[in-house]
Amino acid sequence: MIQDYLILSVILFSLGILGVFSRRNVFAVFMSIELMLNAANLAFLAFSRLHESMDGHVLAMMVMAVAASEAALALAVVILLHKHKGKLDTNVFSVLKG
Amino acid sequence: MFAEGLFIAFSALSVLGALGLVLFRHPMNGAMSLIVTMISLAGLYALLSAKLIFVLQLIVYAGAIMSLILFIIMFLNIQDSDLPEEKGRFYYLLGGLVAIIPIASFLIKLVKSIPESGTTIVGNGFGGVKEVGLVLFQDWLLPFEIVSILLLVALIGAVVLAGKRRMIK
Amino acid sequence: MEHTATYLGLIPLFPLIGAVVIGLLHMLTCKNDPLPEKLYGALACIGPLLSFFLAVVVFVHLKGMPAEDRFLVHNVFTWFAVGDLHIDMGFLADPLSSLMLLFVTFIGSLIHIYSIGYMAKDQNFGKFFSYMNLFLGSMLILVLGSGPVVMFVGWEGVGLCSYLLISFWSEDTNNVLAGNKAFIVNRIGDLGFVLGMSYLFWAIGTSGFDYLSLKANAPSIDPAIGIAVCLLLFVGACGKSAQIPLYVWLPDAMAGPTPVSALIHAATMVTAGVYMVARFSFLYSEFPIAGSVVAWVGILTALLSAIFGMFQKDIKKILAYSTVSQLGYMFAGVGVAAYSAGIFHVFTHAFFKALLFLGAGSVIYALHHEQDIWKMGGLKEKLPTTYKTMLIGALALAGFPLFSGFFSKDEILFSALATGHTGIWMIGVFVAGMTAYYTFRMIFLVFHGKPRVQDSFDHAHEPPAVMTVPLIILAVGAALAGVLNLPAIFGGNLNVSHWLAPSLIEHHPHMGIGSEILAMIASVVAVVIGIYIAFKKFGQGAEEPEFKGFAKWGYYKFYVDEIYNAVFVQPYKGFGSVISRFLEPNVTDSHVRFSSWIYRKAGTAFKVFQVGYVRVYAIYMVIGLSLMSLFISQSIN
Repeated sequence: MIQDYLILSVILFSLGILGVFSRRNVFAVFMSIELMLNAANLAFLAFSRLHESMDGHVLAMMVMAVAASEAALALAVVILLHKHKGKLDTNVFSVLKG
Repeated sequence: MFAEGLFIAFSALSVLGALGLVLFRHPMNGAMSLIVTMISLAGLYALLSAKLIFVLQLIVYAGAIMSLILFIIMFLNIQDSDLPEEKGRFYYLLGGLVAIIPIASFLIKLVKSIPESGTTIVGNGFGGVKEVGLVLFQDWLLPFEIVSILLLVALIGAVVLAGKRRMIK
Repeated sequence: MEHTATYLGLIPLFPLIGAVVIGLLHMLTCKNDPLPEKLYGALACIGPLLSFFLAVVVFVHLKGMPAEDRFLVHNVFTWFAVGDLHIDMGFLADPLSSLMLLFVTFIGSLIHIYSIGYMAKDQNFGKFFSYMNLFLGSMLILVLGSGPVVMFVGWEGVGLCSYLLISFWSEDTNNVLAGNKAFIVNRIGDLGFVLGMSYLFWAIGTSGFDYLSLKANAPSIDPAIGIAVCLLLFVGACGKSAQIPLYVWLPDAMAGPTPVSALIHAATMVTAGVYMVARFSFLYSEFPIAGSVVAWVGILTALLSAIFGMFQKDIKKILAYSTVSQLGYMFAGVGVAAYSAGIFHVFTHAFFKALLFLGAGSVIYALHHEQDIWKMGGLKEKLPTTYKTMLIGALALAGFPLFSGFFSKDEILFSALATGHTGIWMIGVFVAGMTAYYTFRMIFLVFHGKPRVQDSFDHAHEPPAVMTVPLIILAVGAALAGVLNLPAIFGGNLNVSHWLAPSLIEHHPHMGIGSEILAMIASVVAVVIGIYIAFKKFGQGAEEPEFKGFAKWGYYKFYVDEIYNAVFVQPYKGFGSVISRFLEPNVTDSHVRFSSWIYRKAGTAFKVFQVGYVRVYAIYMVIGLSLMSLFISQSIN
């Protein structure tokens, strides 16, 4: 029973990786990362239900807190990048080349 | 029976939402799909008797974070012309699928090796605010404090990043 | 059998401490405010004088012991113990080393005192005395060493100090070249010494590598190995004591200050080779054929350098060739197994040769560093003390009857005759005549007749007392030292030979009294003829001749140096330049360059992966993750 939840978590995680892989849009990449975090949350809660302990819930809360702070900072950076180059393409920023 | 139907419905919705995120071109559409996924995930959490997390998911994730993202998308006033031309998207998707399959199959194999146990009946307080609070402030006090420092750091960072008018020419 | 005497270690230690202290003082103060010379002089003489005092104590101590038992040993520490090789830094005082100790410290102290006057007003006054003390310390380690390895430590030390002191006035490149030559030629000899020492260890040294154990094990040595060891050790002695073919460094070494020539290249360092052969008497007396080789090389060297000495015009070079010649006599003595005669000649030679060198230093000092004898003359009235003492030294060197040189040289010649080496005896007598000739040539040209350069003659004056008093003391020794080893004919007791007997393995040959008197008369006749010829040619003052024919060859030392240069030095240098111009750039450097080229190319190749797009880096991560999970899932199966 719990396995179904875990398989769903794996599917969502893989879709998140696919999103990071194939999209050039900055927002799409960012939102795929959020999707991956949610999949991890689901796995935590499923295991917590399996072992009947509260630790999974607490960890899920921590993950949410981290995701929130990361979202705020990442979006600030996106705004700055847009101001700098005027584009939303990850391929434009290649200063690290070579 | 009812629970199983709910489970199937919620999981289908979440997968559809995720697919929409990956496939839609305009980020606004993607954000909408992601909201669908978040809400259905909240439902799944409720099915797992995680009452507090269910509420928190709806309030924090679907409520605050996604609305923040939507706000930024709308703030930047993205037209179709601003969007990058993602020509090789499908090829990358296919390549990604090829790369994902080993990872996914390995993880699913791990998952399937967990011994199947019948759904046990949990006590009434499981997943409630009181239970989570007790564990949080007894066993997980240090991580709690550190996460609060992390939020402070994020706050300061956001202020710094958005503060000075750096006109980079 | 042997007794321990812990004060033995102090004997070399005092001069070494003096060297360090003076060296440090000089280094720290010479730039800004140099210390007074009197201080350096006093510090420098303390070490040698203390060592002389201890040498006398050793002598008295040994005299008080029964004759067979006269061995004092002191092992300061175990230097290394590896497998069979166990070497102690030890000191052995037995009759032979105590005799060497006495005259080395005595003459060393006198020369230190003399140098206070000679090196006055030199900028590097302190450095000079530091080096001199270091030399004396190394020489004492050499003499007192309880085994070949400790002796080798001192051997190398004196070689180093010789180099340092020869090139002391290093502003002139010629001095530095002379120092280099001395060190390099010495090194060639050292190779032979090390080979001999290693061979000896391999043959009989595994149960103890000090003199007493080697002496006990010597009869068991295989003859071929024994002869090889003797000859190899003698090669080392040739380098250190300037025998054919490695004598070429000694005349050049006269570039150093005169006290250095007196101490190192007359009295002490160059006699180290003779001391070594005497020390290894237990080996050389087993193999008379090795001894014969030593004796013949010695006497031929004596002949060759006497020829060179007859035509030189630099006063110090005459004395240098005379030293080489007398060293040849000493080797002739120890080669025919008359070890005590050879060592006695070392003893008397130290006195009169040091005297002659210090006297020459006096003359040079008085004439403001003029060394060409054809520019001197008539100095008898101006430098009376120097004249009288040098005359005594010259008579001793020539072997004039009743002076010390007569007794010691005669002992050697008689032993050569008595052991059947008639050829050596005849050449020896002939060379004695030549020695008398060139010595008195020098005396007559420098002190008699009319001055050749009036200017320097007028400015000449007797040097200060700190230089003349050592001359007088040495003159007394040169004159009277013969008393110590009077042969039976003169009513004496061969005291020195008897004293040395426990240290050496010697067979005293006997020939009738008649032959001994005949031999003595022959050598006296040769000496008188030599002095007479010198008097005829140079006694009334003479002018510098044009050298023609044989004389020219003699003056140019038979062109030996030039031959060595052409045959050995230039090809070696050419070989070196071939390596540095062709071999190094093409063979070794190319390998190093190749490896650096490989790394650069590899780096450039890997640069392809650094595209700069963050998404691509994420893709790399995912690919890595999938490969890893493939691998893990396979290994789980």
